[in-house]
Amino acid sequence: MKKSTLTLLAALTLASGVAQAETFQEVFNKHRAMYGKGHEFTYEGKTYQTYHPEEVEAMAEPSRDNAEALVASAEAKRQDAAAVGYEWRFTGRILKQAQEALAEERYQDAMDLAAQAKYQARMAIQQQAYAEENWHLAVPE
Amino acid sequence: MKTIRNWLLGAGLVAVAPLALAAETGFTLETVDPEADRLALQEFYQKRFPGVPVEEYVNGIYAVDPPSREQWDALMEFPPYEFDLEEGKVLFETPFANGKTYADCFENGGIGIRHKYPYWNKEEGTVKTLEQEINECREANGEEPLRWKKGAIAQISAYMAWTSRGKTFDIEIPEDDPRALQAYLDGKQFFYAKRGQLNLSCANCHLQGSRVLIRADLPGPMLGQPTHFPVYRSKWGEIGTLHRRYEGCHRDSRSVPLPPQSEEFRKLEYFQTYMSNGLVVNGPGARK
Ligand code: HEC
Repeated sequence: MKKSTLTLLAALTLASGVAQAETFQEVFNKHRAMYGKGHEFTYEGKTYQTYHPEEVEAMAEPSRDNAEALVASAEAKRQDAAAVGYEWRFTGRILKQAQEALAEERYQDAMDLAAQAKYQARMAIQQQAYAEENWHLAVPE
Repeated sequence: MKTIRNWLLGAGLVAVAPLALAAETGFTLETVDPEADRLALQEFYQKRFPGVPVEEYVNGIYAVDPPSREQWDALMEFPPYEFDLEEGKVLFETPFANGKTYADCFENGGIGIRHKYPYWNKEEGTVKTLEQEINECREANGEEPLRWKKGAIAQISAYMAWTSRGKTFDIEIPEDDPRALQAYLDGKQFFYAKRGQLNLSCANCHLQGSRVLIRADLPGPMLGQPTHFPVYRSKWGEIGTLHRRYEGCHRDSRSVPLPPQSEEFRKLEYFQTYMSNGLVVNGPGARK
């Protein structure tokens, strides 16, 4: 478990940017869409699992400290998404639920919810960057 | 083959296909050409809905979907905004506590000026909308501003649109201030950029998706969208402003919507209304 988690994180770090890494992302996305999270797949001879990095974060010990840290980093990401005008509709609501879970000392719940919100915020920021580059493709000439 | 091509045309896929070309012009401050945009948009819809005259586009979805049109014609026998128009006229003419009226704030006493909004205000360096200036008029005369989305502001705006019926939209983008063109470009980008959890742009529904059933709804064409605002919408059961509609549609992409009269929405209105240049004011309107 621990080992594959590490390789996954390494792969995801590589995945940002270059063309070759995008291919990994495509494979990842396909498996994630088909089988959901925690599914194993191979890419260029290595084995990976279909966890988003935020979900990997939520696998840490469900302690108060870890939950607080994840909720805080998710809130920071949400604010980044809002700052570029791309915050998704339910991210704030999910974070509110994470905070409630934290207050009730349901740390695993808090971490899972925070992971979901943080993922949404990261996707929203990516979406904004993509739109900035590609919006013109939709305009009739 | 022909059938497939027709089907593709119907779905708007062929029409938006020449992407490589599109990348070369019209998307930066140096290259953007609003007049070319406007003509290209008209052409897009003329190909998509052959035989629908451009001036019909002031009627939204009813211009291009005969079954909806039939229901609408029945509705319009007793236009549901008539009460709001009367109320709007009363509000417009009732003096403020200081004795002044809205007429004192606007060119030509506020009569017959709707087609000039929104406009680029060089002094303030921003796009001004009619609703914004209604509230500025109130505040300049010591009154509280009205809430943006419905009620009195929509009624006053409806009356002002009414006095402008038939006038042709003629939105200008002054050449002596590049910020105006930038505002137009920002509005254009807002319209075409995908956003929200559903990854949808306004264009996805109102260009490629116009008259394509999306869940239970038929989005209408973007051309002419602002001409009839404010609108009495049956779903609301009351009259509302353009930015109320923007907010709802923005939310439909599963985004946190911007507030009415935010700078981005005013730029969007500037872009959209420029696209409607040459069409007439037909507000207030009625929609499902
Ligand atoms: C999920 C599809 C969808 C998206 C995305 C969407 N709309 Fe709409 N919109 C609709 C539908 C459906 C209607 C109602 C039918 C009609 O009048 O077009 C509508 C109506 C409108 C109207 C009123 C038209 C009229 O004739 O009164 C405006 C204006 C509008 N949309 C603007 C926008 C803008 C701006 C955006 C992007 C922020 C947007 N829409 C995004 C589906 C959508």
